[in-house]
Amino acid sequence: MPISVTMPRLSDTMEAGTIVRWNVKEGDEVTSGQVVADIETDKATMEMPVFDDGRIARLLVPAGQSVKVGTQIAVIAEEGESLESASKGGGSAAPVAAKPVAATPSAPAASAASSHAASASRDEESVTVGGQRVRVSPVARRMAEEHGIPLGSLQGSGPGGRIIKRDVLTAMENTASRPSAPVVAAPAANAQSLAVPVAPASRPSGGLVIAGLESERVAVSGMRQTIARRLVESKTTIPHYQVSMKFDLDRLMAVREQLNTELASTGIKLSVNDFIVRGCALAMARHPYVNSSWAGDAIAMHKQVNVGVAVALDESKGGGLVVAVIRDADRKSLRAISAESKAMGEKARTRGLAPEDMADSTFTVSNLGMFGVEHFTAIINPPNSAILACGAAIKQPVVRNDELTVGYEMTATLSSDHRVIDGAMAARWLKELKGLLENPATLLV
Amino acid sequence: MSALREIEYRDALREAMAEEMRRDKRVFLLGEEVAEYNGAYKVSKGMLEEFGASRIIDTPISESGFAGMAIGAAMQGLRPIVEFMSWSFSLVAADPILNNAPKMLYMSGGQFGCPIVFRGNDGAGGQLGSTHSWCVEGMYSNVPGLKMAIPSTPDDAKGLLKTAIRDDDPVFFLESERMLGMKGHVPEGDEILVPFGKARTRREGTDCTIATWGRPVHFALEAAEALAKDGISCEVIDMRTIRPLDVGSVVRSVKKTSTCVVVDQSWSFGSPGSELASQVHRHCFDDLDNYVHRVHTADVPAPYAFNLEQEYLPNARKICEAVRAATYNA
Repeated sequence: MPISVTMPRLSDTMEAGTIVRWNVKEGDEVTSGQVVADIETDKATMEMPVFDDGRIARLLVPAGQSVKVGTQIAVIAEEGESLESASKGGGSAAPVAAKPVAATPSAPAASAASSHAASASRDEESVTVGGQRVRVSPVARRMAEEHGIPLGSLQGSGPGGRIIKRDVLTAMENTASRPSAPVVAAPAANAQSLAVPVAPASRPSGGLVIAGLESERVAVSGMRQTIARRLVESKTTIPHYQVSMKFDLDRLMAVREQLNTELASTGIKLSVNDFIVRGCALAMARHPYVNSSWAGDAIAMHKQVNVGVAVALDESKGGGLVVAVIRDADRKSLRAISAESKAMGEKARTRGLAPEDMADSTFTVSNLGMFGVEHFTAIINPPNSAILACGAAIKQPVVRNDELTVGYEMTATLSSDHRVIDGAMAARWLKELKGLLENPATLLV
Repeated sequence: MSALREIEYRDALREAMAEEMRRDKRVFLLGEEVAEYNGAYKVSKGMLEEFGASRIIDTPISESGFAGMAIGAAMQGLRPIVEFMSWSFSLVAADPILNNAPKMLYMSGGQFGCPIVFRGNDGAGGQLGSTHSWCVEGMYSNVPGLKMAIPSTPDDAKGLLKTAIRDDDPVFFLESERMLGMKGHVPEGDEILVPFGKARTRREGTDCTIATWGRPVHFALEAAEALAKDGISCEVIDMRTIRPLDVGSVVRSVKKTSTCVVVDQSWSFGSPGSELASQVHRHCFDDLDNYVHRVHTADVPAPYAFNLEQEYLPNARKICEAVRAATYNA
């Protein structure tokens, strides 16, 4: 019996996945547990193992293609079974695949020819909006896809309400003539943190097309879509405000240097950010509201302190931003925080974080100090109520004990959700953090 | 500089044959009334005088006989041009022209080729009745091993016929009684060779691709002119040859216009038009804004009455309607 491999549900919110890469080709032997593909979900790129031994009879979905969870993506021939019969049976083996959702409609198409399977499944995906079949001409569908116009938002003017090219062109013109519908697309967002990629933020409400400008259109990754969606949601629904404070880091820098010198042989190198993460976590003990979430009719006061650390991904690979979560950061040593933070950053940039690496943050730290940034503000990472934006520890003229001298100073800015945290609460939390960072010995215990 | 030389479609055909006969001693013409009578439609006028009775040969009214004889000559290395007064009359020669000529190279294992040209009038001539108004391209282009050219202008008539005579495979060359008197610019000189399988864009446009060949090219141009007044811009592509069929040119155009109308004067069922539409659907699937619309001759035997015959054939009005429907401007 051929074994059907379907698009797995790799996170709670995953509805579709993109095959980033197949690690196997048709005819290859596979063993249970072997990673056969990398799948990009709405959150991360993950490795997909198979759970059976056999040989790959068919790969039904090409790399780069996005299909719904449950859609059949490959067929494995069991040992002793010929590839030919398996690939024939693969289509009819749809009942095996049909566990979660309607994998059946795409399965017969898949058996016809693999190259057609791709368009067939995509077909199915895009012509169904809210369970309602939408009639759309092929070119209109393709153009809408290219310009990020949701088919559900269009009124078809063709026979039987078919969406035609003209409808998409009209929608594109309307989008272009209406300047920046969402609040975030305004240039002001430029000054925001790396958590705010400006242009794509306008995407969920339709692609921005500027007549007279020659541009290359770059397809939007699942991650970029998630960034756009979540940050527009955050910036437009959370009443943000910012409170900044300066921190004297002379002693922290000295302690850090001393520790790093002593720990050099162990391979540990503490960053300023590790101290900040630890400081933020400890500051929550007396200010639990900063470590909570707005829950509509209540405020969820979290019992854990999970500090998210924003990690920027390689710009040459399309950029992107993920938040690696250091769980129970208030109960972890500096050394543990440093090791975990380093490992997660590395994983984020190479293989990609798993959903659990990014789940359940209660607060987030974004740090642009390594670029020499002095001051910036960040957008809250929902469902957090606050985010701390840290600049660089800069050596500069400072006043210490009424004397002008040279010292390290850092400016950090807390963006807070005013529904949960009032201005004075934010100020008090910052003062608490200041006490911790300026007396670094407190961070060591 | 004198005005561009304009000659009739029939003169262009004659120039092509005469030039190729001067160039190649193996080429000869045979058919009903091609010699003494100067051709039923005066296409071969004066050729008997120049080339003599051994190369311009009058035949009895026996298509099966002279077509078969010419095929034998081609197999032996000559290059015959067979004139059918009308392609309607070729039906009685179906066995030699369909069963022998196109299959000869294959069936003889490459020992015998068949470099022959069958040419004559195709399509409704004007009130000739059902049995004499055949469009044979649907039926004949179905056969592998043959080539088929259907020129729409004098220059293409000359250039394609010269290519046909030099071709080593049997070529079915479809002219039109309705176009023989059509005048057009044909450059001087004997090296006008139009390659097979290369369509010609007769008019550029952005909203709809009209792909057609032969006489309907002129209906399509007329329709395009009328539609332009309403702001609908049509690209008219003249396929020139049906086998080989230059699908690529149509595909490139449709990728630009997103809509396509195929105009074919043969019956719609199993026609070159249905083949082209099918290929456009396949290659332009994601580029189409509507299914490929088709304009064909009505699915009935050709009527005799003038008004009915006009309505039976593809015409500019029908093409306009199809373009409007395809572009959602109906």
